[in-house]
Amino acid sequence: MQRNMTIGLGVVAIALGALAYLQGGWGHVLAGLAGTGRLLLETSVLIVAAFVLAGLIQVMISRELVSRWLGAESGWRGLLIGGLAGALIPGGPYAYYPIAVAFLRSGATIGTIVTFVVAKNLWTVSRLPLEVGLLGVHVAWVRYVVTLAFPPLAGLLAQVLFRGATGWVRDGLPASGPGARQGRGEST
Amino acid sequence: MIVATAVLVGLTLLAVAVARRQAPGRARDGALLGLSMLRGTLPLLVAAFFVAGMLAAALPPTLVHHFLGGSSNLLDVVVGSIAGALIPGGPYVSFPIIAAIHAAGASLPATVSMVTGWAVWNLGILSFELALVGPRFTVVRVSATLLLPPLAGVVTRLLFG
Repeated sequence: MQRNMTIGLGVVAIALGALAYLQGGWGHVLAGLAGTGRLLLETSVLIVAAFVLAGLIQVMISRELVSRWLGAESGWRGLLIGGLAGALIPGGPYAYYPIAVAFLRSGATIGTIVTFVVAKNLWTVSRLPLEVGLLGVHVAWVRYVVTLAFPPLAGLLAQVLFRGATGWVRDGLPASGPGARQGRGEST
Repeated sequence: MIVATAVLVGLTLLAVAVARRQAPGRARDGALLGLSMLRGTLPLLVAAFFVAGMLAAALPPTLVHHFLGGSSNLLDVVVGSIAGALIPGGPYVSFPIIAAIHAAGASLPATVSMVTGWAVWNLGILSFELALVGPRFTVVRVSATLLLPPLAGVVTRLLFG
């Protein structure tokens, strides 16, 4: 999938190069290539540091630790703990969605799980270094401040709009056993 | 960029110190894990940088200014949110592209909406959610987050305008 994505992006880059050529000839294309080179040079140290930091965060905070927190809480504290767990949990969607499923099955409320997923989307700690590095301190700072309240807000909204729907959502979970899915999450 | 690099290197050193206190060898494990993630994503990263560089050269500035420049109150945050949802891939792909669009003239609120739209409405993640958690959860999650990306832009305009 990663390889297809790389090829896809290469095609997009070439198409954009053609568009640049149509707009201003080879001068525009060269300016684009120069921009790429500058970007690579300027961000190289930063990217290495960001990846090393992301790796360190991943080994310092285990999935088991996050799981223990999330399982025990509900209500207001559930929203808070769900948000914190989402911010800290490492891994991509194939890792955190199976955990969300496991908690839905074991009785967590829909609000807690929505907060958990949205916090994963918006608060992810391990992504922060990359965001600061590539978008700049100012944009990253504004973005985190503005969306700080969003995960519990979304959880609360889900709780209000879909009160009593937790069972309905639980019944709609894919039929295969939770063990198989969790196994898939752990292996990545 | 220099400030960001310095801050990041400082944070990384801090994390190394914390990891070393946690357990012997943990700092090394973390650093190696990070470097192997970097090696895995490097081709993607370079391709994304080519897209970002070319995007800056190919995007007609007037178009960016019109739709994302922030001359009207809501257009830029709505267009930004939708554009964010359509940008594929992980942060190392999307952030350089969003940064290029920001540099080409997208307003701060539009840029924040783009990042939020990418994070919350992400179409690539949606397929995982449907497959792993099921469409009922998606209905709940999407209803609860539908307004967040444009809202992020509006709040940015109010607070940092």
